[in-house]
Amino acid sequence: MGMTHANAPDMVVDLAPRNPRELVLRNPVIPASGCFGYGQEFAGSVDVQRLGAFVSKGITPKSRSGNPMPRITETPAGMLNAIGLQNPGISGFIRKYPPIWLSWDVPAIVNISAKSVEDFAMMARKLDDVPGVAAIEVNISCPNISAGGFCFGWDAAMSADVTQKVRAATTLPMIVKLSPGALDIVEIAQAVEAEGADAVSLINTLVGMEIDIQRQRPVLANVTGGLSGPAVRPVALRMVYQVAGSVDIPVIGMGGIATVADALQFFMAGASAIQVGTAAFAQPRVLMDLIDGIERWLAARGHSSLGGIVGVANERYQLRRQTPRAEDLLTMESEFTR
Amino acid sequence: MDVMAKTESTFSTREFMGEIIRIEPVMGDAILTTFTAPKKAVAEARPGQFVQILSREPTAYDPLLRRPYSVYRADQKAQTLTVLVRAYGRGSAWLMRQQEGVSLDVMGPLGAPFTVRPKTERLLTVAGGVGAAPLRMLAEAAIRDGKQVTYLMGANDADGLLPARELPDEVEYVVATMDGSAGHTGFVTDIIPAYLQWADQVFSCGPEPMFRTLRAVIHQHRMGDRPDVQMAVERAMPCGIGACLGCVVETRRGMRTACVEGPVFEMDEMLWG
Ligand SMILES: Cc1cc2nc3c(=O)[nH]c(=O)nc-3n(C[C@H](O)[C@H](O)[C@H](O)COP(=O)(O)OP(=O)(O)OC[C@H]3O[C@@H](n4cnc5c(N)ncnc54)[C@H](O)[C@@H]3O)c2cc1C
Ligand SMILES: Cc1cc2nc3c(=O)[nH]c(=O)nc-3n(C[C@H](O)[C@H](O)[C@H](O)COP(=O)(O)O)c2cc1C
Ligand code: FES
Repeated sequence: MGMTHANAPDMVVDLAPRNPRELVLRNPVIPASGCFGYGQEFAGSVDVQRLGAFVSKGITPKSRSGNPMPRITETPAGMLNAIGLQNPGISGFIRKYPPIWLSWDVPAIVNISAKSVEDFAMMARKLDDVPGVAAIEVNISCPNISAGGFCFGWDAAMSADVTQKVRAATTLPMIVKLSPGALDIVEIAQAVEAEGADAVSLINTLVGMEIDIQRQRPVLANVTGGLSGPAVRPVALRMVYQVAGSVDIPVIGMGGIATVADALQFFMAGASAIQVGTAAFAQPRVLMDLIDGIERWLAARGHSSLGGIVGVANERYQLRRQTPRAEDLLTMESEFTR
Repeated sequence: MDVMAKTESTFSTREFMGEIIRIEPVMGDAILTTFTAPKKAVAEARPGQFVQILSREPTAYDPLLRRPYSVYRADQKAQTLTVLVRAYGRGSAWLMRQQEGVSLDVMGPLGAPFTVRPKTERLLTVAGGVGAAPLRMLAEAAIRDGKQVTYLMGANDADGLLPARELPDEVEYVVATMDGSAGHTGFVTDIIPAYLQWADQVFSCGPEPMFRTLRAVIHQHRMGDRPDVQMAVERAMPCGIGACLGCVVETRRGMRTACVEGPVFEMDEMLWG
């Protein structure tokens, strides 16, 4: 159980400060997309209503039956997955899940994936006024068909384009989920911020593979899969650190988080909230342990709020958020000289 | 929504710590591990269901994911669950090294159990290897319900068979070994036809090749759709609760999760690649 006494630290986070529709969470712990089903799957394992929010499995324009088996294989301190976005499609999804979430006391974030900018916008439009949907997370780690299958999230112009079209299609709080495959993830983050993303989340999985030496074939039917779990954590942390020091919107950090200490590293790097995927497969209660443990850690060190540690280990983050920026100085100057 | 509202809940989870109280050798290089479990978990465990056991130190990262084991016995009086563990890879090796007194991190029971129809009087079970585990529990429950059970089992040699003492006396136990050291010489699937007319329902658990032969034999010998056949399949299970979609089985009604919608499936529902 969380703390109830008067001086419990303030864990509330606002993930869409620029958006009138708001995305305010009672705590910063969020199960990651594809790792929490549609929320109900974990109902017998964790107290879903205590979470800060949760992210649905990735939804696509049409229903998909996913990739052939095997879809998952374990790797050192991690796993590779190639599920292939098995889901009921946007229309089936809207009929089935948001009505259930409506009675829940936890914001539901819908993760969307598509192979064209138009499909992304179409899904955003359909979700815009669906009761029970609190926000969308745009998964730009998908191949863009009109760019020959090149991943949206690896290219700043394509990422900006998706963000702009989705922004035009909905006023919902919009989180853009970044791909670690980008050559310069900071460039992508700044591009989506400029086009109206309310927050960014990172990282999605890293592409990897394994070979079965007996069969002399790749282990996964899909050949490659996405690496997640503790193995990716240092890479994820580095990217969160870079991005948090380069944008003004909230950053949601993820990649290998399994313990309170892991979570604290991401906050100190500049993440306002965290997502947890793989670790919750092995131990669903990790989600509850994180909420309680973060709160306890803050209290034990006399922090009155989570905000007090966000970005403390990130010099660029501090410079950016605590001193007026160059652009702001310029505006001040021009106002002064007018 | 009041974001500060603290939801007081009476939540209870499927995860529990179970202290190992007994380890016994059982067949081949497999062991029976018995551990304590919450009353609810013991009372609710049904034949065909499984538990997910964390098979590493809690602070270690390897092997990362839990390993599924069928419930072999649920002892209401002793408040324990028993699983049969065969030496396979790293996870089972770790589990087999744990001694009495050690606490295991367990999730479950999980999955859809075998369904014995109310009208069924005669059950035929077909076991291969560690598939003996869920079928033992099924046989025990069926005998308790006053039904008849013929339990067929195949192994490479006599040492690989479930010892007869592990089954209730009322069960007719018929075995096959490849080397002829016990029962029929050959595959367990060779002796199935003799029982197909008799059985109301067939239940099977074993390696994939056994399923394939079983299906061929049944298609050849059965009358119409009688008897109906249920199979418990094996898939690596990252989450065990339907969240990752990494354990799916292709069926006539689309992709089904082996962990929630299975591991027991109707044979006729499954599509075979
Ligand atoms: C519902 C269910 C019930 C089961 N019941 C029992 C039981 O009662 N007793 C028992 O001994 N075993 C049972 N198993 C099998 C058991 O889960 C595996 O033997 C175990 O996961 C192996 O883990 P390991 O770490 O020892 O091997 P690993 O090192 O993980 O395995 C070595 C290789 O086998 C693959 N592998 C791992 N698990 C499986 C699997 N389930 N199916 C196919 N390939 C796999 C791995 O990818 C790896 O390549 C059951 C499995 C399922 C799904
Ligand atoms: C089985 C599985 C399925 C996933 N599906 C999605 C998805 O549909 N959409 C998405 O944006 N990310 C998906 N992810 C990525 C996770 O949301 C997360 O970014 C990644 O796993 C890193 O976090 P972790 O190390 O805590 O798991 C998936 C990950 C896993 C393991
Ligand atoms: S093991 Fe995750 S869905 Fe079945």
